[in-house]
Amino acid sequence: MILLYIILAIIAGLLFHGIHRKVIARIQTRPGPPIWQEFLHVMKFSFKQTWIPKTASKVLFVAIVPAVIAIWAGALYVLLTGGSLLIIFGVYLLHKITEHGLGLSSGSPYGKFGAIRSVLSAASEIPLIASIAGIYFITGSLMINDIVAYQAANGMLLITALPIALAMYVIILSKVPYSPFGIIEAKEIVSGNKTEHFGAFRAGLEIGFALKTFVLLAVFVTVFIGAMPFWMLLAATLILLMTMSFICALTPMLSPYDAVTIQIGVIIIVIVYMAFMAVFGGMP
Amino acid sequence: MINTVCDEMCLPPTDMLYGSPYEFLETGIEGQALFNLPFGDIVNFLTPYTAVLFIFALTFTIIAAISKPERQVDTVFGGDACYTKDIPQDTLRFQRFMAIACGLATMGGIMAGDVFNFTLFTAFIGITNIGIVAAVKNKHILDNAFEYGLLAMIGTLPLFVGAALVLATTGTLSMWGLFNSSAAVPLFAKLLLVIGVIAEGMAPVFVAKAEITRAPGAPFILMVHVSSLLIFLRMIEIVISV
Repeated sequence: MILLYIILAIIAGLLFHGIHRKVIARIQTRPGPPIWQEFLHVMKFSFKQTWIPKTASKVLFVAIVPAVIAIWAGALYVLLTGGSLLIIFGVYLLHKITEHGLGLSSGSPYGKFGAIRSVLSAASEIPLIASIAGIYFITGSLMINDIVAYQAANGMLLITALPIALAMYVIILSKVPYSPFGIIEAKEIVSGNKTEHFGAFRAGLEIGFALKTFVLLAVFVTVFIGAMPFWMLLAATLILLMTMSFICALTPMLSPYDAVTIQIGVIIIVIVYMAFMAVFGGMP
Repeated sequence: MINTVCDEMCLPPTDMLYGSPYEFLETGIEGQALFNLPFGDIVNFLTPYTAVLFIFALTFTIIAAISKPERQVDTVFGGDACYTKDIPQDTLRFQRFMAIACGLATMGGIMAGDVFNFTLFTAFIGITNIGIVAAVKNKHILDNAFEYGLLAMIGTLPLFVGAALVLATTGTLSMWGLFNSSAAVPLFAKLLLVIGVIAEGMAPVFVAKAEITRAPGAPFILMVHVSSLLIFLRMIEIVISV
């Protein structure tokens, strides 16, 4: 059953990436690719000639691809079983390691610059820590089942803890394709850390990243709105993604230092909010 | 390490701390423990959260043990020629040894059931990270290793003082006990632990400064990032849970 959900999540994630590109294109008055373009990409890459660059660290170059898929499949399992939000937070940070390893493994300077930017953009994890701490202080638990139960009794966290939801929104925004925070794949460094992974390796990465997009969106919906049937979860995650598509379409890519500065600004807002709640009430 | 002269803040006697391995430790933070291994009042354990971290650390340690490093492509300054950098055999051996030691220390830190053991493994990670970076014979990289070494050494002070404060205020260092106890660890002790781990875990930033164009050795350098982030994740679990 869990395998079926993983396949569904991959399909949904690839479709979401296609819709994301389409919405961005329409806002920018371009026709844009068809929404199933990312499926075509995966199919194309799967059957293209694949080899490992002569300069690569071969084991790391290959192993990093299943690692990306495995950690996000694990995160989906945790979400579906109502496990700990802390594990999903851990997976988010482990993804950072895979981004770094992806760029380092090939020996390409473009990949290496992407990897270095991945380390620099570690500031995006700080709002995530603040968000998760905030959720814990408000609900008294980090188990997703408990957070869902808390919302059933006390209302959506999206309304009662809006600054925390906004911080989490920025974190997810930083991980969607074409994000203003997507400095690790900026075009001035070709495709950044993904530059040298092509063929079947790129197909595997696209699958892993599609899974990541779906899981992050689904976590946001579950944690800040509540539990819902799968079809409704799909609809809610799609609406959430489309709000991000607008931001991606209308905002240029930030410089690495601007991206870090904005992320630090977000954590200051969350900390001020939590201090306000602690002083004036609202936390159990 | 149960203090025999506890006041009412202290934990119950040792024999009351352990029930059945599967029925005892269950928190609202990371769910039920999957496994435990008691050594006296120190109980090493894995929860779903730490199990994920442990598997990840083990995977990357194996990768570091069996991988050959990449040969980094660089351009000749002032021209259009390219060349690849190779790691000398002795440097490779030393970096690989340090990377494996770093992986083992990380796994130890993840499985540690005692705050003092956790701080020891964290300090060990700092030492091995210095070794991985300092193995490269290049002035810029050695400068970075030196700066990081100073920071890591200074970081051990708040790290161990934090652990000492936990013992002084609760009468135990056992996480198994602390996670299940109402004895509150002071915020200041938690803050010191956080500062200590951040200081030890700053290595990726120094590596990032050094490795941009100069140091090949991806599987070994990646262990610096793996260990720092994983120990940071473990620290978050401890600070929230105690």
